[in-house]
Amino acid sequence: MSKQIVRLSVNGSNHELLLEPQMTLLQALRDELGLTGTKYGCGVCECGACTVLVDGKPVLACSILAISVRDKDILTIEGLAGNGNLHPIQQAFIDYGAIQCGFCTPGMILSSKALLDENPRPSRQEVKEWLAGNLCRCTGYVKIIEAVMAASETMVKGGSHGK
Amino acid sequence: MPRVLQPFEYLEPRSAAEATRILADYGTRAKAMAGGVDLLPRIRQRKICPEVIVSIQNIPGLDSIKEERGQLRIGALVTLHTAELDRLIKERYTALHEAVHHLASVQVKTMATLVGNLCVATPASDMAAALFVLGASLVVVSPDKERAIPIEQFFLKPGQTALQPGELVTEIVVPAPAPDSGSAFLKLVRTAADIAKVNAAVCLTVDGDACKEARIALGSVAPTTIRAPRAEAAIKGQKLTGDTIQAAARAAEAESRPITDVRSNADYRREMSGLLVGRAIKIAFQRARGQHE
Repeated sequence: MSKQIVRLSVNGSNHELLLEPQMTLLQALRDELGLTGTKYGCGVCECGACTVLVDGKPVLACSILAISVRDKDILTIEGLAGNGNLHPIQQAFIDYGAIQCGFCTPGMILSSKALLDENPRPSRQEVKEWLAGNLCRCTGYVKIIEAVMAASETMVKGGSHGK
Repeated sequence: MPRVLQPFEYLEPRSAAEATRILADYGTRAKAMAGGVDLLPRIRQRKICPEVIVSIQNIPGLDSIKEERGQLRIGALVTLHTAELDRLIKERYTALHEAVHHLASVQVKTMATLVGNLCVATPASDMAAALFVLGASLVVVSPDKERAIPIEQFFLKPGQTALQPGELVTEIVVPAPAPDSGSAFLKLVRTAADIAKVNAAVCLTVDGDACKEARIALGSVAPTTIRAPRAEAAIKGQKLTGDTIQAAARAAEAESRPITDVRSNADYRREMSGLLVGRAIKIAFQRARGQHE
């Protein structure tokens, strides 16, 4: 099939890529741009490991075509830390031991960012419901939820909102 | 699961008319795509292999929810996330709000559309059950005409709708709820965002303690979402008491035709059909009488 020039705006940088139409956003990020923080898990919209933010909203990069998100703002885990400082959610995941094998972590953190941007003071229940689309096979959910609640505190108190 | 998708051409028409011409030209070789949440995984799983994907994402006018002449109109690009946050749907079309609220993960809600979910024609569609009792219809366009399909005539069997090649659903139309009416949606799942083992929706119009009108729908217990007319007859024109509600629940059980599969078994589904219908009747009744729980 014919390749097309697709302009992607990823973590604030513009890239022009020559892509076949069936190329997913996940492939473009990992294979074309070398941004391997975004993971391939299930491939069927169940696990959330490939979560990235498009115009601030969480989407599944394995099941969205790169060509369909051209000219939109894409944020991956690599773009979250600013000026050498970790985002408060990243710091909270470290502080609370919310990372085990790490495979779900980029998706967890980006889903959490979308939540806290929309709802800066979520209840514990709202955090659990929001993160229902991100599976952790190490089953470390308790610490992840604690980390998100702590990050919410930090951010509401005037810590950086990151990007 | 292969990471890559089989090659296809990708077209992004700028109008519904152009989209339907493309869909008519390619027939079964083309697939219309809105969010892609269902379509792209099925291509990855090699269940389907379309030559052409017709994305409707840049067709103007399909992304709004509006109330016009007493009807709610939901465009084909309205996502579950948008519908879930919509105040009008939450306040007036309660069963639909509840169906959308309890469905899928945030990521899927951000990507998936209501119309796309209906076009997948899963017998477990939560939205379909809610829209059955709210009396919805679908606006369907093709190169030379436009028609409305009542939602109860839209599903033919699992995975198959009444859409002809070249037809595209552009809107869901839901009539305004009658005065003194209330609706409710319930489902039984393993975990929160899961696909329903059974779902049930009820819409009642009441006069004091009596039920004037009743619409009851069940999902995941037949090849398509179904109405339960005998359950409706058990309460219509009756006072809503423990006995009449129980009679409706038993009728709903008898009307369900479930199968056993990976999510549940037939006997359990049948029993739960009655349980959910009974509970949903009570909730819809309270809402119709303005006593929100």
